[in-house]
Amino acid sequence: MKCLLIASESAEVLFYWTDPEFEQNIQEQYGASQEEGEKPPAFEDCINTLFAPIIISCSTMVDRLGDGYTSFSTENNHSYVLHQFEECLYIAVNGDGEEGEEDLRRKIYVMKKMIEVLFGVVTLSSPLLRKELRPQDTEQRTRLWKHLQSLLETYSRLKEQDQSFLVEAVERLIHPTLCEQCIEFLERSLVQQINSSVERAGEEVLHAFILVHTKLLAFYSSRNASTLTSSDLLALIIMVQNMYPSNIDLEDCAPEDVENTSAPDIFYTPEPSPTNRDSGTDGDSFVDPDIQMAEDSLQTLECPPHDPSTPSRVFLEVMLKEGCYPMMPHSMYCLPLWPGITLVLLTKIPKSNLAMSIYVFLEAFAKLEKRLSEGLEGSAARGQTSIQDLRNKLDKFIRAVGTVDIQTSALQSVWTEFKSRAFIRGGHGFNRGLVPWCRGMKTQLCGVYRQCFMAENGVGGGGPQRLSPSLQDRALIMVQEKLIDWKDFLLVKSRRNITMVSYPEFPGLIHFIYIDRTAGQMIAPSLNITDRATSELGKGPLAHFIKGKIWGLVNTSRLYLQKGYSTVTLRDGDYFFCYFLWFENETGYKLEVKELPILPDDSAPIGMLAMDYYRKLLRYYSKNHQGEVVKCYELLTVHLGVIPVEYILQHCSQLARKLWEPSRIPLL
Amino acid sequence: MADNTVADSRYNYFFLYDGSKVKGEGDPTRAGICYFYPEETPLDKQELLCGQLAGVSRCVSELSSSPVRLLRLRRSKFAIRMKGDFLWALGCSVDIPDVSICNLLDQLINLFSFYNGPIRKSYQIYSQEDLAVRWARYLSHLQEGTTELHHIFSCLSTIDSTHIDPLLLLKAALILQACQRCPLVLAGCILFRGRVVSTQMSPDLTVKVMLLQVLSQSTQSTPKEVNRPRKSRLLSRTLSDTPPSDPPEPDPARPAPLSLHCPSTPGSSTSDDLLFSPSLSFHTPPGPLSPSPSTVSPQISYHSLPNGKSSHEVEEGVTGGLHDQSLDSLEGGDSESGLIGVGPVQSCDIPHDLNRHNGDSMALDGEKAGALGFRGQNSPGCGRRRTGIVADEKEGHRGKVQLADTGDVPPAPCENSSGPPLTTMTLYQHRVRGLVLALLVEPHFHNDTAAVEEVYHSSLASLNGLEAHLRTTARGGAGPQGPYTFAHYDCIQNTLTTNLSGRPGGAQERSFVRATSLLHSHFSHTEALQEAIVRNAGAAVYATRSVAQETYFLQQGGALRNSGIPNHQDSAFSLPSKARHRLLKHGVNLL
Repeated sequence: MKCLLIASESAEVLFYWTDPEFEQNIQEQYGASQEEGEKPPAFEDCINTLFAPIIISCSTMVDRLGDGYTSFSTENNHSYVLHQFEECLYIAVNGDGEEGEEDLRRKIYVMKKMIEVLFGVVTLSSPLLRKELRPQDTEQRTRLWKHLQSLLETYSRLKEQDQSFLVEAVERLIHPTLCEQCIEFLERSLVQQINSSVERAGEEVLHAFILVHTKLLAFYSSRNASTLTSSDLLALIIMVQNMYPSNIDLEDCAPEDVENTSAPDIFYTPEPSPTNRDSGTDGDSFVDPDIQMAEDSLQTLECPPHDPSTPSRVFLEVMLKEGCYPMMPHSMYCLPLWPGITLVLLTKIPKSNLAMSIYVFLEAFAKLEKRLSEGLEGSAARGQTSIQDLRNKLDKFIRAVGTVDIQTSALQSVWTEFKSRAFIRGGHGFNRGLVPWCRGMKTQLCGVYRQCFMAENGVGGGGPQRLSPSLQDRALIMVQEKLIDWKDFLLVKSRRNITMVSYPEFPGLIHFIYIDRTAGQMIAPSLNITDRATSELGKGPLAHFIKGKIWGLVNTSRLYLQKGYSTVTLRDGDYFFCYFLWFENETGYKLEVKELPILPDDSAPIGMLAMDYYRKLLRYYSKNHQGEVVKCYELLTVHLGVIPVEYILQHCSQLARKLWEPSRIPLL
Repeated sequence: MADNTVADSRYNYFFLYDGSKVKGEGDPTRAGICYFYPEETPLDKQELLCGQLAGVSRCVSELSSSPVRLLRLRRSKFAIRMKGDFLWALGCSVDIPDVSICNLLDQLINLFSFYNGPIRKSYQIYSQEDLAVRWARYLSHLQEGTTELHHIFSCLSTIDSTHIDPLLLLKAALILQACQRCPLVLAGCILFRGRVVSTQMSPDLTVKVMLLQVLSQSTQSTPKEVNRPRKSRLLSRTLSDTPPSDPPEPDPARPAPLSLHCPSTPGSSTSDDLLFSPSLSFHTPPGPLSPSPSTVSPQISYHSLPNGKSSHEVEEGVTGGLHDQSLDSLEGGDSESGLIGVGPVQSCDIPHDLNRHNGDSMALDGEKAGALGFRGQNSPGCGRRRTGIVADEKEGHRGKVQLADTGDVPPAPCENSSGPPLTTMTLYQHRVRGLVLALLVEPHFHNDTAAVEEVYHSSLASLNGLEAHLRTTARGGAGPQGPYTFAHYDCIQNTLTTNLSGRPGGAQERSFVRATSLLHSHFSHTEALQEAIVRNAGAAVYATRSVAQETYFLQQGGALRNSGIPNHQDSAFSLPSKARHRLLKHGVNLL
């Protein structure tokens, strides 16, 4: 019983995802009120009708009370979490007890993150984003929603199965020699060759990495590239997993698991009916079976809808000397080396400097709008020089863009209007009346951005522009040759990266997770809970039980961290859990604890994938440690409860010391 | 300790909304608002909140096929109860744990049905204005005299046992037991200045009965309806018909406190169970003391006077805010109406009846019976020792009225068909200054003059004595302040022991309260969790719980200089042993 819904303020559904149980539940409810013999309405309409009162009430409360809903819970423990981002209201529902409010909130933020990665700066303009998320064309909409739905499902699966997605940090394969060799290979051979090839069509490889399932074998960034943030890297891994799912279940092959993986494919196709307002311009001309066929082929093809050599357009944060530019366009090439092993190339695309300029303008207008709507006309006017500067730059920009085959007439006319209002009478035009024009400018800029970087097909594909297929093939073959001997080893290694057997000096220690939050990396003994593979935890109920405990512990530790507690120990049944968070400087010197911020219950989830909490935490902590590199670590342990607490604590401190070393493996 | 009422209210809104009044398109939302707190809220805001929250709740409960329990907003949250067309919502700030605010709302609703019966029926019988006064009364009762910690645990205020001679507690328990020799007496409790001294009732029930004390303590009364004759069903209250056939599993931790109040009973648990089963009154054999007939009649008439007189008023009062008035008048009445005897002080308001109370309040959980409370004292002083006895014939009248009344309002399940049916019962109250003896009795108790007499006499002297002792000894200062802060919550008796003052404390106290609230909610939804230590830069708090209790401990002083890295020499991890040692002297055994 799960659902995630995005709605506009006017209660229009911009996206939804439901599991089969929820869908059935909705249809039953709707069926009850349905006249006999009448055709059941489209599922999208049902869900819209049922949620509309909630959505409308939410905006009423915001408008009239200045306070919106954040969550509901019912007596049978259904949870609803609501969050408003700009003009989009996200609602996540759980009715089977598998997810708590925290999980739902996290899902909402992750969904938003994925949308940002796919749509970039367009997300800053609500009207455009609305159009983008809900294309007029039904077929296109179906395809886009299906893509988003499967991303969400992939994320949920990873979060359930994979410790690295549980704690939201990248897990590396622990094999320093191979890792180093691979990095060298990526640098000297692969990236250099591609970047010096004429077939690269103006693109430049910035980052290259090899994933074995979800684990990182090697990562290389070219010298002039900005660092790839953990948040973006995690989001990209989700995308890669979505394209080439490593079906852990399939390999271990329990038949019901096969069923499970195909279950999410059930997807409702709206039937053409006279009431179907979505059929829009297509009207009755669109034929159901076609869509059905298209979907079927999609299902069999898994994801890459067209040519597999077509890169995905992704929008990632770029940190340069001049500043931080979120959501800058890149192309992502996923080259499957073997099932489970993927080479990923991230390239900088031509025109990407346009994106930076647009972002700068957007920021300027956003600031101006904020100041004006706060009634700070004075300071807005005082910013005259920068306004003049903006004016000149924008004029130049529009002229330049006009030459590269981009529709700028709308931008131009709004800009002309803006100028005529703003720059009259020596700056007196800067008043509250200008606010809508600031918004208009933002929308227009986002529109230009959209034209430049979003191809026609809505699934974030990038038009014809790409590294030539033959170049991609060559790259693939090169890496395959390099790794062919390691292939089987890597696949096994990814399942048993490190094991508890390697830690005999900690009797009674059942499991641990060690996380370097500065680097966004984690180490933990593998937990493979499948019916076939026996892990050290044994198999069957006990292993599942312990896995459940670990997942629960992570959630609990976040709950306390959110309220400012950096050390937690819990005796829970037969187990003893510890959680520690601490700061060190680069040399490993332990820095003193500082009062951590206490966040409200509905604050962004603690993690790195969406709204990176740890990055903010480090920034906050570093305020008192100027000029010093501050690192943040976390350790979670699970011990048997019979072990005396003194020993448990001793283990924890020894473990922290021991694990410190491997985390020094260079990532780059 | 704990005397400071935190003045600002913990809830910002409370309302009762009747959806059946707003069915059609044209019906204004205000028609459905039965009660809204704070009453001065502008009507359009009332309508906004009621309309939106009720609408959303309805929508969500349809989607989930289950009533909404909690609605959270960014800056506040609302505990919700939905029953039939009614919706109750209690709003508070986001700091209060979910479990606490939901408990508080349930308490409030139960309190209402305890004194007024089923909600639908009440709104048919009484005017909305009357009931509004009552809601306001209940709200302030639940809010009164407690600290933030009390709110977190939603627990009873009890007298501070550490300052009281245990013999007094024993004595209180014995008084209650003595009263039970009368087969019509079901269970009782003794309250002193708003705090529980000894109780045989379940915590839920005790908290409801305590309202009486609050009412009678406050002297100012709204005279408005004094002479309006009403259907006088005094304080008849209703208990669940369902015998406590499903008491929670016997709790191992219980015997200790129980032995305090009924040491003479062999097998305290059984006696408690009996106590609370509706039939239990019969199990106590009639006591050996049979009052002589001569005494009986004056005795009876005595209370009948005040009660007869107040029978309307009392009813009004208790339920409608006038009770105090009637009590005051009782006092006066005593002397004026020619009491035989010296001191004009009233002390005995007797059978107030009571009312029906919602079955699901589990008032009859035999298992939880008999909470003994301990806690600091405070105090409006009052007269003590009554001497006069007045004759009057209203007694009979009164009894009849009451009976008629009970007959009139049968324990109709009404709209709460889901809950167990309600039973009418009566409350007998005897007051000696700050001390109140409240007994839950069979409805026909008043008619049985012999029984009334017996109960009255058997307890009179001891109550006076107890009151005198409590008054003199209860003045002790705040609890022993050590270099530590603790809170010990007894889940069975629903009582709290703490050395934390109610005054807004220093940073460490606040951080203790915050940690406690977080850990308490964690405990409440994680069954297997037994022990926890949480630490931030400023303080470390240790918490431990068993089925019967939760204990929270913070060692004060010396900022814990540490890096947060695991270190077994860290002082935070010695908290458990410190807590074990330090708390022994507070009667908290963590071993």
